[in-house]
Order: sequence, then C-alpha cells, then structure tokens
Amino acid sequence: MFRMVLALVRKEFYQVRRDPVMLRIIFLMPIIQLLLLGYAINTDVKNIRTAVYDYDRSDLSREFMRSLGAGGYFVTRPSDIPLLAGERGFRENRQDVMLVIPPGFSRDLKERQSVTAGFLVDGTNASSAAVAMGYANLISAEFNRELYRLSLPVTLRQKVLYNPEAESVYFMVPAIVAILLTMVTVMLMSMAIVREREIGTLEQLLVTPITKPALLLGKAIPFSLIGLVEFSIALVFGVIWFGIPFAGSWTLLYLLAFIFLFTTLGVGIFISTITKTQQQAMFFAWFFSIFAILTSGFFIPIQNMPQSIQYLTYLNPVRYFLTVIRGIMMKGVGLEALYPNIIAMIVFSVGIFTFAWLRFAKRTK
Amino acid sequence: MNSDAVVIDKLTKWFGKFRAVDEVSLRVETGEIFGFLGANGAGKTTTIRMLCGLLLPTSGEGRVAGYDIYRDTEKIKRRIGYMSQKFSLYTDLTGYENLWFYGSVYQMAPRELKKRIAELSEDLELGNFIKRPAGSLPTGWRQRLALAASLLHRPQILFLDEPTGGVDPVFRRRFWEILYRLADSGTTLFVTTHYMDEAEFCRRISIMHHGRIIAVGNPQELLVEHRQASLQELFIQLITQQECV
Repeated sequence: MFRMVLALVRKEFYQVRRDPVMLRIIFLMPIIQLLLLGYAINTDVKNIRTAVYDYDRSDLSREFMRSLGAGGYFVTRPSDIPLLAGERGFRENRQDVMLVIPPGFSRDLKERQSVTAGFLVDGTNASSAAVAMGYANLISAEFNRELYRLSLPVTLRQKVLYNPEAESVYFMVPAIVAILLTMVTVMLMSMAIVREREIGTLEQLLVTPITKPALLLGKAIPFSLIGLVEFSIALVFGVIWFGIPFAGSWTLLYLLAFIFLFTTLGVGIFISTITKTQQQAMFFAWFFSIFAILTSGFFIPIQNMPQSIQYLTYLNPVRYFLTVIRGIMMKGVGLEALYPNIIAMIVFSVGIFTFAWLRFAKRTK
Repeated sequence: MNSDAVVIDKLTKWFGKFRAVDEVSLRVETGEIFGFLGANGAGKTTTIRMLCGLLLPTSGEGRVAGYDIYRDTEKIKRRIGYMSQKFSLYTDLTGYENLWFYGSVYQMAPRELKKRIAELSEDLELGNFIKRPAGSLPTGWRQRLALAASLLHRPQILFLDEPTGGVDPVFRRRFWEILYRLADSGTTLFVTTHYMDEAEFCRRISIMHHGRIIAVGNPQELLVEHRQASLQELFIQLITQQECV
C-alpha cells in the first residue's frame, strides 16, 4: 500500500516537474491572482469625480466645496458643460456626481435661512452611488455643525475594530487565498484522474492490483501539497505585500485548511466520476467554483442576499472556510469562536469525501 | 488448480440496448497462444476488459487463472498482464521511469525490480530507448516498452489487444518471436489481431462477429474444415456468411 502510494506520488511530481506551463501556473498564479484581485476588488469608494456648478462664488460656497473634497472621497472641479446639458457628463462618463450651489447660498446662510444645494449622483453602480450619498450627508452635516457652532445632543463616537483603516484589501485577501485553494485543488484533482482516463493510462493502472485507497491517496497527496504550497505563497505574499495583519494562529489555520482539503478533493473525485473528458471536468470544476465563490460571502456580503439565497449559502462549504480564515487572520479568534463553522467544515469534508470515495469505482458497470 | 488459463461460459455484456458480447463461451489452455480474431466492433476488446476485471459482465460465468471474474478480480490482476491497443504508458516519463512506476505498483522490491528491468530490456532489446521519454519513441519501440511493462510481474496470462497495430512487418515478426519465447516459458497468451499471418502463429483461434463466436479451433484444422486456402479467405468467408444470414 505504502509503496504503491509512493510510486504514484513520485510519478505525479515527475510529470508536474516536466511540464513547464504547469510549473508556471502553480507558482505564478497565486501571486498574479492576488495582485489583480487585491487591487481590483476594492469596495472603498474614493476619488468620486464631482462636477461643480457654483453660482454663488462666495467664500462660503468655496469652503463648502473644500470640506467636500477634504477626505479624499470627492474630487471637485468646475464643470465646463452648461448646467442644462449637465447630464451629458454622466453619459460620457466624465463625472460621478453633479453639485449645484445656487446663487444666494452664502447670503441665505448668513441670514440663518435654510439653503438647498443640488446633488445628483450616477446610479449606474448602485452601491457606489449609495456610498457617495452617505459620505455627502455626513460631510454636509459636519459643515452645518461647524458653521453654527452647534453642539448636537447625540453624537456617535465611532471606532472600527480589526481593520481601523477600513481597508477592503484586508478583507479580500484572506478570501482570495481561500478561493485559490478551492479552485486549484478541485481542478487539479478532477483533471488528474480524467486526463489519465482520456489518454488510457488509467485503464492500464486499473489492471494492476492497485487498491482504491492507494490510487486515490496517490492522486490526492501531490495535489493537496501543490494546493497547500499555493495557499502558502498567497498567504505569505498577502501578509508581506499588502501588509495584511495576521492576528491568529497559523497552526490552526493550516489544520483547518487540511480539513477543508477533503471537501475540495472529494468534489474533484466526484467530478471525475461523472465526466469523460478533461473539458467536461474543467467545466464542472468551473461551475462549482462560481457557485462556491458567489455564495461564499467573498464579495457579496451574505446578509445582503435574499433570505432564500442565504439558506442556500449554508450548503456551500467554502462559506465556512471563508469565515474561519477571516476570523483567524483579522480577529485572531480561535476554536472558542469558530467552532460552529469548524463543525460544519468537518461535516462537509467527511460527507463529500465519503460520497466521492464510494462513487469512484475501479470497474466500469 | 485448473489447467485452463481462461474459461468463460455464456459471457454476455449489454451496453444499454446494444449487446456487445453475446453468450460467448471459450476455453484457453495454459501455455497456449490463443488468437482472438474478429472484425472491428465485434466485441473483442469488451470481452478482454471483462476478463481483466475492468468491466462488469451483464451475465455469464468466467474464470481467469482459476479465479472468478466477478469476485476475485484483485487476485486475477496479480496474475495477468494487459497490453491495450492504445499506447497507455506515460508519454512524459522515460521508459525506465514507466517500468519503475509499474513495478512499484506491483509492489516489487527495488532490488528485484532493478534486476527485472535489466532482464526485460535485454530480452526485448530496448537498449538506449529506455532512457528516452516514452512519447518520443517510434511505434515499434513503444509497443515493446508496453510489453515490458505488462511483463514486469511475470504474469501467468498475458492479454494483448492488437499489440502490433501500425507496426512494420520486420518489427511485427520480431515481436512475435518474443511472444513465442514467452509461450515456451509457459505464459498463456490471449491475443487479438487483424493480421491473418499472425493468426497462423496461434495454436488455436476464435473468430468473433457481432458479439458471438462463429468459429473456434486450430487454424489448420479450420482451413480444412471450411475448404479454404488461407486464413484471410476463411475469415472473409465466415463473416460474409454471417452477414447473409
């Protein structure tokens, strides 16, 4: 048994080593993916292009614009399009927001009369529009308060825990690392078996007395190792390059990654039992990954999903691993806080792996 | 221990509504070269796959090396070698690495395996080809390498599914010389082929058509019985007869 497994593991590594494309994919993919996604998936809304129509041209109107631009959220510039044609700026994607300050803005303010300024937002991207309006409300409230030196009855003293700068990259990178491990192991495992079936070597292997555990282990070990290497590259790269804080226990994280591997390897083996060609396997692996990513809370928060879809996310094993990896890395929590997720992970791993194991047959019916 | 290497009785395989193998009964004696002939799609490969434990029969009985083909597939697998019609070694590994891999799967001890590879590479005249990636070898050498891989564990019975397809006549002749030597040393050979000159090398042959065996016996005796001058003619006659029926 041991010698059979060892022979298979060695064979897989010979093959990977001799495939330069594969080697490049293995070592460069995690870094490229992390760089691309880490920078691209940014839910921070900054540099909102604001076209200003200032019909007051007073110190106060300029002061209002200055405070709007102060936080780095809004970048204000006078518009060169006539007000009545101002929508053109949205259509041509030259602005995200239109701010209209009416004449008499400062006069009315000084007389303590209420004033209305126009604030038009491009709603094409609903979520950044909502964020822009939120910022604008906060800034104008602050402006009012300072102007009249008011002291409001209720003020919130805000503090952001675990991610004080509210950097979305801190939130995204742990998730990318988890997704990477999922995709790589599901794909490699299913393709490795199906490729051998396609070229005929699996049949040659199956006429030998190789046992099912030896065969599956011999396939699973190399691809788990490759998956864990990628996971580690991405993790270390995330910590060094993006400066992601790693608050929790590395040991616990690797232990859970190991448990999680049984889920993805199980899915990979299962895919290999229902497909005949590498293309089919690739398609199934891709389909699983899309489902797993979209319902994992990767970039769409689960609380934002409709109730029925929220229930569906409980069927997604990646969801638990994502919670766990974010919890360990950002909050530094351990078993005491994560155990419900860990139990779910174990249940999925045992269930999926057993199911795939039973489905994989050495003899065709 | 049964003296027959392969015994099958009414072996049948359905693929959905298609009957690929239809109540095939056969007996192959230990140490003989048995030619398993038939047109393309006659069911030869399906039969072999059932005998090797790769495919579950729909019905019928079968014993290979004395073991039941339903229950004892693992025992059978230790005693047989199989060379499929498609080259099925790893093309990105060298010949030596392929042989080492299969030997380890058969759980041969490293020292023994090393000796066995040296022995086979001399017998099959693999020479320096053993150091080259299997994918870069000419067809004839690939076939020899595949044969070496299936012989590593000294199988009692060797199943060869069109082992000489696409190989030049000189190579074919030398390949058969090797097979003869194997048979002399007591290995049973179960060979499918399309080449009728090869069929003459066999002690007994069977001809399969549409999943059924339509003739079985010693090649010379079959020729006399059907009054044909060559196996080629006999084969064509039998198949056309069947088609007319």
